[in-house]
Amino acid sequence: MLAPETVAAQMAVVLARLLRDGETVFFGVASPLPMVAALLAKWLHAPGLTILTIAGGVDPSPAALPVSTVDPRLLDGAAALVTLADIFDLAARGRLDTAFLGGVQIDRHGQINMSAIGDPRRPKVRLPGGAGSAALMPTARRTILWRTRHDTRTFVDTLPFVTAAGNVDRVVTPLCVLRRTDGLLDVESVHSFSSPDEVRAATGFTVTATAGTPVTPAPTAEELAALRAIDPGGVVAVELRGR
Amino acid sequence: MEGPMPHKRRSLAEVVATIPDGSRLALGGNTLHRAPAAAVHEMIRQRKRDLEVVKTAGAYDVDLLCGTGCASIVAAGFVGYETVLGLAPMYRRAVESGVVEAREHACYTVIAGLRAASQGVPFMPLNGLQGSDLVALRGFASVRDPYSDQDIVVVPAIVPDVALIHVQEADADGNARIWGSTFEDTLMARAARRVIVTAERIVDRAVLAAEPERTSIPGFLVEAVIEAPRGAWPTSCAGLYEYDEPFLVELMTVAGDPERLARFVDERILQSGRQAVPAT
Repeated sequence: MLAPETVAAQMAVVLARLLRDGETVFFGVASPLPMVAALLAKWLHAPGLTILTIAGGVDPSPAALPVSTVDPRLLDGAAALVTLADIFDLAARGRLDTAFLGGVQIDRHGQINMSAIGDPRRPKVRLPGGAGSAALMPTARRTILWRTRHDTRTFVDTLPFVTAAGNVDRVVTPLCVLRRTDGLLDVESVHSFSSPDEVRAATGFTVTATAGTPVTPAPTAEELAALRAIDPGGVVAVELRGR
Repeated sequence: MEGPMPHKRRSLAEVVATIPDGSRLALGGNTLHRAPAAAVHEMIRQRKRDLEVVKTAGAYDVDLLCGTGCASIVAAGFVGYETVLGLAPMYRRAVESGVVEAREHACYTVIAGLRAASQGVPFMPLNGLQGSDLVALRGFASVRDPYSDQDIVVVPAIVPDVALIHVQEADADGNARIWGSTFEDTLMARAARRVIVTAERIVDRAVLAAEPERTSIPGFLVEAVIEAPRGAWPTSCAGLYEYDEPFLVELMTVAGDPERLARFVDERILQSGRQAVPAT
């Protein structure tokens, strides 16, 4: 049985590797994996990364990571305190490099549904809502999506409702990394503990995953050591583990 | 010279009694943090009805107002207990059964609407929402930029009738100081017709006057201030206490059953509530 911690570590290092030194990155509510990934990137290869949190703390260095990513602990060690409005404004004027966003459902274009299953005016299932995603996805220079579930109910051909659309670059899942090229998502690499067959079967739209598809590089010893140092409590896996 | 202004300290019960059914309420804080819970509990105690709740990202406060029949509209970008406890069950049930209308926003559109209100203009242009079905669902219009001939989406002003804001410190005149993240609270205080502040403690004017730059809500905007220790419970209050996860877990176990929920709200929140919970 694959441990949630193994999957979470793979996802976190993939998300971290996508971040570039010197850029600005934002994560919002309910975002433990992106929180860990941003701290990991800053620790490892991107010391000049500027991390912006929804609670307004800029470049925090919390001693213990919170499960809520709005937690006051994300002000610990922060260089400055801004507001959420400041961050939306930053994106709106083209200065936010990367936004980490989630999606309950994701379609072949990398559009997301966070609003409702069924008629949005009288939904079968009312979802939490897209928070800032509808504003950030089209305005951040790049959006990286993550989702801790990969099945045909999550990755669908057509969304019942498009909560947000925009500049999606990658989608990181427990099985693989999807990259958007010419407006369509396709598999970039498959994690070592999954397989091309599993990825195709779990995706509700056509993707090309074959024996020749690259394997996602596993976390290195250095990455795992940094992960343990940043997140000794294992908050990284909370979305996969459940509580 | 007039004599000194009478102070603005009131009891929560008398202030909440002046809030009519059908009011549009802006709630301060964000998800599990610094929600104006004491005021929300008093709204529930007084059985307010048909409230419209405005917030960028809510959890316990919005959920409970739905579960107790107080809310009929929720205008928010996100309602949920984050990864801590997931979806908001009372909000979900109320929306799915048609009792509450979910007016989903994009957080930034709540901010834009409040900004318009705070500036006294009818709407606010906004860069964002391209490709989102929220534009049609919410009926957000676009206008032609008279200077460039480009179209831009505009959000109508959101003027709350009342903003309920919980802070760590305030003085008797309502000057209020928030420790840490202010979220949308300071904007709400400038957008709402009436501002009601609950505070962990009432301090002497001199305490705030020593560092006036930290007073982010000036008292002249505030109608009433109420001392409410642990007034954000069971959400967190930065620098003082964390959110009460065991309590929220318990709430989740009864949230799906209206009868058990009603009993729980009565016994565990309205009767024994925040004052009974020891400081951590």
